[in-house]
Amino acid sequence: MFQVNRAYPYIFYLSLITYLLSIFWGLFLTPEDFVQGNSYRIIYLHVPASFISQSLYLAMAIASAVYLIWKVKLSVYLVRSIAPIGAVTTFIALISGSIWGIPTWGTWWAWDARIVSTLILFIMYLGLISLHDSFNNNEKADKFLSILVLVGSVNIPIIKMSVEWWSTLHQPASITLSEKPAIDLVMLYPLFGSIIGFTGLITCLVILSSKLQIIKREKNKSWVKDYV
Amino acid sequence: MKPVRKKRLQTVLLILATSALGSFFIIRALDSNLDFFYTPSEIFLEEIPENKRIKIGGMVLENSVIREKTKISFIVSDFQGSINVEFDGIVPDLFKEGSGVVVLGYLKDKTIIAEEVLAKHDENYMPPSIDIEK
Amino acid sequence: MFNIEFNTLAEALLMQSQNGQNHGIYVWSVVLIVTLCISISFIFYKYKIKEISKKIK
Repeated sequence: MFQVNRAYPYIFYLSLITYLLSIFWGLFLTPEDFVQGNSYRIIYLHVPASFISQSLYLAMAIASAVYLIWKVKLSVYLVRSIAPIGAVTTFIALISGSIWGIPTWGTWWAWDARIVSTLILFIMYLGLISLHDSFNNNEKADKFLSILVLVGSVNIPIIKMSVEWWSTLHQPASITLSEKPAIDLVMLYPLFGSIIGFTGLITCLVILSSKLQIIKREKNKSWVKDYV
Repeated sequence: MKPVRKKRLQTVLLILATSALGSFFIIRALDSNLDFFYTPSEIFLEEIPENKRIKIGGMVLENSVIREKTKISFIVSDFQGSINVEFDGIVPDLFKEGSGVVVLGYLKDKTIIAEEVLAKHDENYMPPSIDIEK
Repeated sequence: MFNIEFNTLAEALLMQSQNGQNHGIYVWSVVLIVTLCISISFIFYKYKIKEISKKIK
């Protein structure tokens, strides 16, 4: 915790600067898209948020498995701390996608596999938080939380593959591991920058949230009293 | 690994496997029953009642768009089959001949009476200048 | 590579595309929402940590 505290300002300012510069680059220094015009610039805000919202769930699933197998308490604190931040990023992904849909698709909402599976992700984050908080017994709450996180993790490959499996309004991924990106390089660099910067900022939020969770759960321990 | 942990690991894997299997069946069920999505070539192969709202996806055929006041009609094609669409309303900016479209509406006399016309775009992004150079 | 796309502040706010549509309203409202969500989250956690630390002391 103490080492993390020392690293925190570096991570925060570095990623904030990276994010702001990339957004500036994306909004003002890249040309408009040949089909979508200037509305395509929403990509620099939408894609990082969508990417993070899925990655955070994956992190939660791994932490849940670690908790269930090795009973590491910190691991389940991490699960509980990530959930609200996952909800915020999924909310951003949904809203920015909706707004982007108006000038491009001609609608702000469609019952499309990608959109619905992302909505389910959002509801899952909220559900996990309220489930965990509804228990009086901490140990039971932790166990239920981590089991449900694991059950829900099937939604992540569904979100990922939804654009391939179904005929969706949402287009397939532009950046994949296996193929050359479908985005022109001048537009791609700031997109990578914004993803890296946003990931850093969200990492900072996860650190703060975990700190709160640790203090809350261990408040009777002497080291916490010394720390605060 | 200690036997207790091994057992817990097995439980974790069991949870993952059951939920994956469960959702697989749910998706299979949804795929055949709830997704009323047809391609133009599929639409005449199946009996579709007139009061059922369906989705059609494909390309707007070149030179098929006819505008008449607020009304617009065009042909949606998937290069194997095609179907006529009639729509009264405003189409999205990205609606263009030769680009992707998703139509929601009802089938009537081999024509889709559309309630909503949505433009679909692909995953390619590039500046306009590159497009012109081609 | 680095050409500023917009010449004036008004142009940057409106973001008129080649098809004549103004897309600024969409882009800027997304920017606003993201900024609000992220900064509120930071403020919320900082405040909560301060609050609970005070209580424990």
